[in-house]
Amino acid sequence: MGGRGRGRGNAVSFNIEQLGFGRGEAGPVSVTQPPPLFPSLENRPLPLIKDVENEYILVTQKDLSTRMRNSPFYLKKSEKINSTSYEKELPVLWNRMPAELRDETFTKRLATGKSKVTLNAKKKKVEDPDKIFAKLEKKERNESEVEEDGDGKEDEDDQDKSDDEKVENEDDVEEDLDEEMDDHTDYANNYFENGEAYLEDEEGQDDGEAQF
Amino acid sequence: MEKLSAKSDHIYLGEAIVKKALAVMIQHNLVKFQASERNNNVAEYTMIHHNVYCLIRYPKYLYMIKRIYGTSEEILLEILLNLGQASASNVIFHSANRLNEANDSEVLSPSALHQSFQRLAQDNFIIRCPKLAENATLLKVPTLEIEEKEKFAVPNVEIEPIARMLKEKATQLGGHCDSEIIWRVNHERFDIELRNVILVNAAARRVDTTAGELYHLILKLWRESSNPDSPVTTPVSYNVIKDAVRKNDSSPILLEHFDHYLRVLYEDSAGLIDRAGDAGGGQFNLDYSKVFENLACASLDSIVLERFGSKALRLFRLTRIQKFMEQDQMQNVAMIPAKEAKMFTYKLLEHNFLQIKELKKGTSNFAPVKSFILYHVELPQVVRTTLEASYKGLFNAMVRQMHDLTENQRLLEKHAMLESMLERLKGDGVPDEEIAELSDTMPPAEKSLVEKIHLMSDNLTLGQTQADETILILESYLKFKSKEL
Repeated sequence: MGGRGRGRGNAVSFNIEQLGFGRGEAGPVSVTQPPPLFPSLENRPLPLIKDVENEYILVTQKDLSTRMRNSPFYLKKSEKINSTSYEKELPVLWNRMPAELRDETFTKRLATGKSKVTLNAKKKKVEDPDKIFAKLEKKERNESEVEEDGDGKEDEDDQDKSDDEKVENEDDVEEDLDEEMDDHTDYANNYFENGEAYLEDEEGQDDGEAQF
Repeated sequence: MEKLSAKSDHIYLGEAIVKKALAVMIQHNLVKFQASERNNNVAEYTMIHHNVYCLIRYPKYLYMIKRIYGTSEEILLEILLNLGQASASNVIFHSANRLNEANDSEVLSPSALHQSFQRLAQDNFIIRCPKLAENATLLKVPTLEIEEKEKFAVPNVEIEPIARMLKEKATQLGGHCDSEIIWRVNHERFDIELRNVILVNAAARRVDTTAGELYHLILKLWRESSNPDSPVTTPVSYNVIKDAVRKNDSSPILLEHFDHYLRVLYEDSAGLIDRAGDAGGGQFNLDYSKVFENLACASLDSIVLERFGSKALRLFRLTRIQKFMEQDQMQNVAMIPAKEAKMFTYKLLEHNFLQIKELKKGTSNFAPVKSFILYHVELPQVVRTTLEASYKGLFNAMVRQMHDLTENQRLLEKHAMLESMLERLKGDGVPDEEIAELSDTMPPAEKSLVEKIHLMSDNLTLGQTQADETILILESYLKFKSKEL
């Protein structure tokens, strides 16, 4: 904040008085470290309002969360991954759900031939999930499904809202892992690729990207 | 929007759990799906942010319903919240069961519950989910559609099968005639209701409770005549209001002084009622953006007051009302000594309650350039910062509560088991000494710890509820502000 005068360059553009302290007094203390993570509260916050409505809310909230936790909707992680037909256990309206969510062992499915359909180019720098799916699917089960490229856009900004899912204690790990996957690549799976996807790749390239 | 395959790749929990979790979330209106554009056999899933946030407001919904209607409607709504989406018969069945558990005699017959259900639907608190399109069963991703007029139409419900199942003490209602007509909670309507509650409370605080009553009636008139999306309600004339007051069983004070109350409300600077014209004895409407701006400013004022003190509050209000002020002007008009004024100004600036605008005033080319520093309050920005802070506070409270409960889970469970055993024994008529002995198995230190945990958990819940109120006001302000532009 030096002076910017032309000619006699001694004048500075502000008065010392304007800063709020006169000559000779010490300046404000300089800050030498970042502010503390939990700064001390100067004023105590106002007490919480406790009236009839809030009493009721307290009781209902506890009631609701206990009921939710005890309901069959509350999924516990300890269940076996490949448990048999869960359609009967979960009181969900299954006929309104997409077919892929439904339990295969329960519903009859036409076994479609295994096909890999590459629809369009990968727009992100994610390694081709197509091949990974093919391998995973082959490993996990013998039935086959129509496979797609994972070209979804992700849901962002869940920090504010994801905490509310703790009430039902469901996939709160989901969003964190989503973001991780973008950066990590499965080198092992990618390394020995079969040449099948090679030509498919070229057909679906982004328009306008220069090919070098 | 994500595909199921993309999701399962990212989550190491195993595909079955992912499917179940998605199904549960769709059932509870937190996630919606639609067929992907490129391939009709695959669904893309989107999260409905607002509904997830509204999970915290469920107890408030129940309280409002209980106050407006009564216990049976409250139970109906609670069952619907628990099930997510359900058919009318199912809801009625489970509610009857729940009421029978609470009181041992069969108090309410299913037909009475059916009427309560209809009342809820008439006032749009519950809404029908879109139904399966005709060829939906053939598609892998069902299309769901609904027409405008069907949204609140209650189907005929056969009472006898329900009554029969109740007598048999069945736990599940089997197939029933309206099982394809599914209902869910209408979050938008509840939002409107919550906002109205805030406005009515504001009127009651500003004037008195009778004014609150009057305001409540006028709000109902506006709601019936206006488009819910418009930022300004359609005007309602004086005569219509008078009729409504007379028809409704209002208190005698209101009938007598109705004129005065109305006048007080519309002359008040909070903008609760605006006079829009003179036809029909006076036209009155409500400008949501103005009212919520005032409410948001009031919230910000009280936040500044509690955090920085009354002097800072004076500076803040002054700057907000005068739009642009210089530092000297501020300390003169606010009558605060210079050094303190500067300190508070800096503090407010640091916490982003004040913003700075610099104006250069270059007169001659020889003298150093003078610049004016003006302080102002940019309201949308300040509101957004405070909103983020409120979300963070809410989040912190929830995390802390979860942490406390899971850490002491073992202890809390033990205490709960002990309590239930004691209850049972008391009911069986076991002598007092045995009960005392049993309750001594848990040392008083542990008992007081459990007390403390419960107390803290309660306080955190209350804190969350009150943070939610602030969030509602600030969010409404931002919503109506963006609409008016």
